[in-house]
Amino acid sequence: MASVKLKVDGREVVVEKGTNLIEASKQAGVFVPSFCYHPGLPVVGVCRICLCEVEGRPKLVAGCATPVEEGMHIITRSAKVAEARRAVMEFLLIHHPLDCPSCDKGGECTLQDYTIQMGPSRSRFTFEKNTWPEEDVGGKLILNKNRCILCLRCVNLCKDVAGVDEIAVLSRGEHTYIGTVDGRKIENELAGNIADICPVGALTSKDFRFQSRPWELKNTPSVCPLCSKGCNVVVGYHPRRNEILRITARTNMDVNQWWICDRGRGGFHFIHDPNRIVVPVQRAGGTARTVAWNAALPEIARALRGVVQRHGPAAVGVLGSAELTNEECYLTRAVFRDGLNVPNVDFPARPQPEVTYARFTIEGDQNPNTRGARLCGVAPGPLGLGVNEMIRAAAAGTIRALFFLRGGPLERFGDPAIVERALRQAELVVVLDLLPSPVSDRAHWVLPGVSFAEKDGTFTNSSGRVQRIRKVLTLRGDTREDWRILQDLGRALHVLPSADPDPERIFIRLAQSIPAYSGLTYASVGELGAPIAPATADVAVG
Amino acid sequence: MTVNGSVLLKTVHLPESHTLAVYRKHGGYEALALALQKQPDEIIDMVKRSGLRGRGGAGFPTGTKWGFVPKATDKPKYMCVNADESEPGAFKDRIICQKDPHQLLEGTLIGSYAIGASRAYVYVRGEFAFEAGRIREAIDEARKAGLIGKNILGSGWSCEVSVYLGAGAYICGEETGLIQSIEGKRGEPRLKPPFPAVVGLFGCPTVVNNVETLACVPHLVSRGWEWFAGIGTERNTGPKLYGLSGHVNRPGIYELPMGTPLRELIESHGGGVPGGRAVKGVIPGGASCPVLRGDEIDVPMDFDSLTRAGSLFGTGTPIVMDDTTCMVRAAWITARFFAHESCGQCTPCREGCGWLERILVKIERGQGEERDLDVLLSVTDQIEGNTICALGDAAAWPARGFAKKYRDEFLQHIREKRCPLGGGSLH
Repeated sequence: MASVKLKVDGREVVVEKGTNLIEASKQAGVFVPSFCYHPGLPVVGVCRICLCEVEGRPKLVAGCATPVEEGMHIITRSAKVAEARRAVMEFLLIHHPLDCPSCDKGGECTLQDYTIQMGPSRSRFTFEKNTWPEEDVGGKLILNKNRCILCLRCVNLCKDVAGVDEIAVLSRGEHTYIGTVDGRKIENELAGNIADICPVGALTSKDFRFQSRPWELKNTPSVCPLCSKGCNVVVGYHPRRNEILRITARTNMDVNQWWICDRGRGGFHFIHDPNRIVVPVQRAGGTARTVAWNAALPEIARALRGVVQRHGPAAVGVLGSAELTNEECYLTRAVFRDGLNVPNVDFPARPQPEVTYARFTIEGDQNPNTRGARLCGVAPGPLGLGVNEMIRAAAAGTIRALFFLRGGPLERFGDPAIVERALRQAELVVVLDLLPSPVSDRAHWVLPGVSFAEKDGTFTNSSGRVQRIRKVLTLRGDTREDWRILQDLGRALHVLPSADPDPERIFIRLAQSIPAYSGLTYASVGELGAPIAPATADVAVG
Repeated sequence: MTVNGSVLLKTVHLPESHTLAVYRKHGGYEALALALQKQPDEIIDMVKRSGLRGRGGAGFPTGTKWGFVPKATDKPKYMCVNADESEPGAFKDRIICQKDPHQLLEGTLIGSYAIGASRAYVYVRGEFAFEAGRIREAIDEARKAGLIGKNILGSGWSCEVSVYLGAGAYICGEETGLIQSIEGKRGEPRLKPPFPAVVGLFGCPTVVNNVETLACVPHLVSRGWEWFAGIGTERNTGPKLYGLSGHVNRPGIYELPMGTPLRELIESHGGGVPGGRAVKGVIPGGASCPVLRGDEIDVPMDFDSLTRAGSLFGTGTPIVMDDTTCMVRAAWITARFFAHESCGQCTPCREGCGWLERILVKIERGQGEERDLDVLLSVTDQIEGNTICALGDAAAWPARGFAKKYRDEFLQHIREKRCPLGGGSLH
């Protein structure tokens, strides 16, 4: 790529050819404000806040729409530029309701920030402001046109990224407004990104608004667990309430660019579901009783050992889960395949229709860690059975114990009638899960696992990128991280020589034993993830 | 050299002047035949040498514009005719569309041939439904006569021409707004660069020319660039249609050389102001041009002279205002127009134009304060030069012009808390 040398406020910088003045200035450490410009959207050049002076040019130029030229001198600290910015700020505020105290965007609003930085502190506009009623435009968004500065980011997000014209610019002049056509609702599943990129409080998230002030939230980088794409997200949680209040997109050019889908955005409410399984439960003779972990795990271990001793390790079926982390999948293998010599280890696929938008795809695999589960060894050993075969074998009575690392609807594991029979026939059914399901309803033991926001770990996405999830919430009730449950079970079974204090340590072992992960550490995976070794075939080792 | 209606308006007074028969009887389409015998570059060169400058308002040299169209490209090229005549005060293109559409088509065809386009669109403002009909009829006639379509006049060159009727937006007269509109999009000017000559209609090289500009072309082709360059002044050549309106005894369209003095236009051709009243001000080239005071009208009507005089030539269509006119009201009416016509795309124009209008209404109604005048001028400064297209400037310049040149009258409104002219004679 050819490079261009230029100066920004006297600072020399070398940037790629084609870079615009905003990005070039940024690289030179000079801030140029912008509302309508977004690196992921077409340049529209409408807000005019990024006007810059270029030495030798009589008129100010829009920084977003002007590419760098060799030897160019961009000036952002001149009276002319300051005046232009002040002018644009004053214009943007003349019809603005200045309702920051009751606006959900307050605290993370570009217009508010710039007003504090460079806006006039009082308006010279003494006339009645244009006002509009608030509107539900679909897409889980509320439109408040009074605050809109017509930056067109929402329009271009739908048009360019989703590829649908569901929101448009209507009317003209100062009566111009953003709206849906004929009052129809926004339906595309990327619309939630609008709430992230709206630089003002015009389009806010119905789900999040009035839940909290943004500054009350702690923001932790994580990865969406809802499909194999592994979109990078920010988990915003309220520490005092120990509650996640929103998930927003985190930029990762190698994975999801700037966007996430609305499933991922809204897909955290299950964590706070009042029906969460919060204590180990034993069901026997039609009654259920809660059991303390220190009693439950030895009992389960004893029962498992009993089955192995009486019928051999092939009488145990382990229904692993690609919803679990690499570390947990590694432990699944270590405990069951390597520890108990159980050959029947597999996990169910969870396909869904792939949704393809113009510049974003929601992948067809609902498991966030299919690649990792396979690589880490959640796969049948020699003569081992797969999911459907295990279920049939259990229904036929040859498999006597079923260990589910996640439950779910019966059909996830095969023909529901056969799954039903398998669960009835087996002498030991253990299910590790978050919420009750038809599978866990039929289990002898139900153990409370945790969600992606309640533990640390890594997922390997469909393109083989290892990315970290993080524990942001304190654990509820007697729930326990799945890696810890597996590790504790392994200890109770006397198949794990030692216990690791955290997933990072487990990952070190994993990386030492699985070539695909060789050389990776949490540090090298970092915030944006790292690819597995390229030449690695997707087969289990050993 | 005098013109006096002998070139562009040569046949408009004749019955059936809009028909092919009348047009051909007076030498119509001979220039096209002549042009098709030349190389396209020769024609571009002729137009360059003639000094023809765009009659749509900006005065950009037409030949140079044609020369910007890239030769080596696989893309189709387009000619767009700007018949979106919407500038308040301008009504010069209308007469050509109405009375002599073939003159326009001949110029369009020659221009298309010169730039290598085989598709031309005539973009007609929505309100010109009648004129659009006339142009459509002319296209049909020309097609039947082998002047439009395949293998025109046996030259092997083909060109289609069609009419696109706008929906009534001033901004679609801005060349990239016009292109957006033909593409079926919102009439919003595009960011420039790239300019239409490189990326225009449907992303292809495009020339957008004003009606009057193209109407000049057949004449300069048949009579030679020297003839054309000999009319007018050195840098402002050729005949010009001046549309004179407002407080004059004989408003109308006058075809005179470029550079005709404004006073001569008003007094000799327009017959002066009714009742012998004094000229209070003249908007020389359509509403976007800053007003000239009555004592500033000794100025040649051409691009350079009016720029030097602190105004603009624009479309060359002066609006004369006598001493019964309230200049605050005139400013308000102008501002109201631009606020109404702002596309709303970029901040300074969208927000600024409405603000200007509000301040002017306030002053005209006798509710103004002195600081309103300062805010008005400041708002014009905040719009000017900061917008995507020239509409922002077009709104700022006249408002500033009126406020500065008639400051006393503005202050009188403020002090007396009423319009001293009772609203004046403009409404």
